[in-house]
Amino acid sequence: MGYNRPMPIRILAPLEAARIAAGEVVERPASVVKELLENALDAGARHIGVESQGGGSALILVADDGGGIAPDEVELAFARHATSKIASLSDLESATTLGFRGEALPSIAAVAEVELLTRTPGQEAGAFVRVHYGQVVERGRRACPPGTRVTVGRLFARLPARRKFLKTPGTENSHISQVVSRYSLAFPDVKFSLSLEGRRAFESPGSGSLREAALKVYGYETAQALLEVKAEAAEGQPLKIWGLVSPPSRARPRREAHFFVNRRWVQSRLLARAVEEAYLGLLVSGQYPLSILHLELPPAEVDVNIHPAKREVRFLQEQAVFAAAQRAVRAVLMQMSPLPQVRPLPRLEQAPTLALPLEPARPGSLAASPPPARRLPILRVLGQLASAYIIAEGPDGMYLIDQHAAHERVRYEDIKAQRRDGKPEVQGLLAPVTMELTPSEAALLGEHETTLAEHGFELEPFGPGSHLLRALPALLAGQDPAQALRAVLADLAEGKGKDIGETLAVSLACHGAVAAGQALTLEEMRELVRRLEEAEEPRHCPHGRPTMVHLSAAQLEREFGRR
Amino acid sequence: MKLSCLQENLSRGLGIVGRAVATRTTLPITNNVLLATDGGRLKLSATNLEIAITCWIGAKVEEEGTTTVPARLLTDLVSSLPNERMDLSQPLRSHTIHLACGRNEAKITGQAAADFPPIPTIGEGVAIPVGGDALHTAIDQVAFAAATDESRPVLTGVQASFEGSTVTLAAADGFRLSVHKLALDQPVAEKVAVIIPARSLQELNRLLDGQEEPVQVTVNAARSQALFKLKNAEMVSQLVQGTFPNYGQLIPQSSQSRAVVNRAEFLRATKAAAIFARDGSGIIRLQVTPAGELGPGKLAVSARAEELGENLGELDAAVTGEAGKIAFNAKYLTEVLSVLDSEQVALETTSPTSPGVIRPVGVDNFVHVVMPMFVQW
Repeated sequence: MGYNRPMPIRILAPLEAARIAAGEVVERPASVVKELLENALDAGARHIGVESQGGGSALILVADDGGGIAPDEVELAFARHATSKIASLSDLESATTLGFRGEALPSIAAVAEVELLTRTPGQEAGAFVRVHYGQVVERGRRACPPGTRVTVGRLFARLPARRKFLKTPGTENSHISQVVSRYSLAFPDVKFSLSLEGRRAFESPGSGSLREAALKVYGYETAQALLEVKAEAAEGQPLKIWGLVSPPSRARPRREAHFFVNRRWVQSRLLARAVEEAYLGLLVSGQYPLSILHLELPPAEVDVNIHPAKREVRFLQEQAVFAAAQRAVRAVLMQMSPLPQVRPLPRLEQAPTLALPLEPARPGSLAASPPPARRLPILRVLGQLASAYIIAEGPDGMYLIDQHAAHERVRYEDIKAQRRDGKPEVQGLLAPVTMELTPSEAALLGEHETTLAEHGFELEPFGPGSHLLRALPALLAGQDPAQALRAVLADLAEGKGKDIGETLAVSLACHGAVAAGQALTLEEMRELVRRLEEAEEPRHCPHGRPTMVHLSAAQLEREFGRR
Repeated sequence: MKLSCLQENLSRGLGIVGRAVATRTTLPITNNVLLATDGGRLKLSATNLEIAITCWIGAKVEEEGTTTVPARLLTDLVSSLPNERMDLSQPLRSHTIHLACGRNEAKITGQAAADFPPIPTIGEGVAIPVGGDALHTAIDQVAFAAATDESRPVLTGVQASFEGSTVTLAAADGFRLSVHKLALDQPVAEKVAVIIPARSLQELNRLLDGQEEPVQVTVNAARSQALFKLKNAEMVSQLVQGTFPNYGQLIPQSSQSRAVVNRAEFLRATKAAAIFARDGSGIIRLQVTPAGELGPGKLAVSARAEELGENLGELDAAVTGEAGKIAFNAKYLTEVLSVLDSEQVALETTSPTSPGVIRPVGVDNFVHVVMPMFVQW
């Protein structure tokens, strides 16, 4: 092989070293914006303007109205590890600023043409310095408003390798806009404005209200529907949690979670899992909540210095943080998951059609009425529709109940109750059923044997690849035992990585629940509705679909023009 | 076609075949009833392709003919007419039938009989006579134990095996087993075992209501259809193909504890307990205590619901053997006690996890095996 003759080992020139190191901090234009925003925020800015041209490669401008930099410190700011934020490593433990390493400006200056114009309130004129790829090329004093304005031009112009990895200006701009909107959620009290390629793209109100900031990011409908999370710090639990989460009815097909730890945006598997667990049983699989959560805790409780871009943090007490976040979100979901309502028919001058557009109500129309109580009122069953829905009358209008979803919910709560009491109800089989399992089924069975047994599946090995099924959960009685176990195993395979007991409970609740298309007698419907009235969370099935829609008496009156 | 008959007879006939009219079907003509003159009678037939029911009513036939008309329409119309003579006629090469009764006249558009699926007939095979009343009871006591879940077709049926001078009906759904032996008036020449859909037998039972005369049962050579011939009606049912499980070994041969109790009281106590058992999986706990110094033997029937409360009913029992306890699904217990008609029943158990047996006392033609629920006592 033609390897080149080994080169002698040398110490890199400081500039080269800076450029290479910059790669860790400055990956793409959006990371420049992030670093500059953090500096601005650390300087106490109330209003930050961001501009980008050519996807950030041609020009990035970040202007703030913060404290500015004193003239004699301006050039020092470009020196590596120059920072005003900490003085020693021990300060790191109590650092409340976003940055502290003193790497941002030098890193950016190493790979671009940077102009810094800054004025502290005490100065009459601003200080100006221009640095091209690490070299100061111009300095002086100029008039400017108080604050700091950093212009970054020709980013990566001298690093063709890095340039190659940049995406189209559109993509880079969308990353920038993500960064800015993220910070607007982190600092709802700061006004952010962003213009891309000369056009105003985003502006946050800076009113201090997280909901108003979210409104600019996610739009009116979503922002209105978001539920407020608030958990105060308590003794022995220094963690304060606040923010907004989506109601189950507004789940999204993609993960969309923003976590801010002491205002710092972080990616945290721990917190993501905590939120998802709070939604367990409320969401259809493949749906994710939208969450914007702020965690405030003493700096000593969290290590922010484990990732070059500070994208990850480590909590001192991970379990406590996890539990607190999960509880805070769950509490708000249990309190106020609003019942989907029948949306009023648009008033048209045409013959009315029979089809009622049954959709969850828009939050706007809900705003006037307080969210209904969690438990159901006593309902009177009127009949069955399309062999799938139960029509019932309550004190406040009509309820349409999805019989399958409702039965799932009832069964699910039975299973949960049995599990709580540690008493699974088990139905024996007259003759054991021999099950020939595929290798993957057998593996699943091996993996989850204990959990399956806890829920009432009695299995014993019976030669290679087969098992004898001797008993099954009583809730599945009356079904083909082998098929029921297979269906449960399939659900377990799909629910990999989730809480296994929960997956199993949902699976057992689903298989064997009355299906749509099954005619029910009045007695059966009454019984089902009675059980649903007793359920703790009657409005959603364990997959998260609504069990019912509600058409209020007032809505009926409106629809018939009585009011 | 031209004939006259009594409204009452036509209405009854339509009621009988109406059970076989298809409701949800991809073959719309099966919503119709086939009318055909047959000798001096009017023949009515309907089929949903799983079963076909035919019945004959007395009529004065003037002109032969055959047609089909919507069953529901005709049934509703006839039942609302006065009980008088009814004249039916159908002009040649027309599918409209005219129906006159009293001062009422109706025209109903039908469809050609040629499009109607053929009603199977079984010519071959030996007809086995089975007592009507006895068969009715046997079906009642067995068919309910068949599986309703279509994934195991064999278990949705009732096995009828004719051997010597008995026919044995058996059904099982994996959790319970019901077996009823029925004497035949004359022995069969060869052993025949077929699986009849439980649904078909339940329809047959409706036809059997009040019929004491023997039913002639014929199975075709291919063992794919069975014909039940009643006095003025017959039913053909498709049979389930497959092998019925060998259930003989599932019936326990001995027991540790046997309690004989009054059936009606047992049923009443079970129903009372079931009210508390209906949340959850319907667990009914049975405890058998032999007679001792403290009093006669007894059977305690209890159920509890975590938040509602609990119920305990006690009945006197003639206990042989040891004390016993077992838990059953309320539905299973209620169902078997409801179909029995003996005054007393025996509950035989061995352990809380082995199958329980329920038999009528005084007759030796029925046994029911039910698997317990495994609960903590």
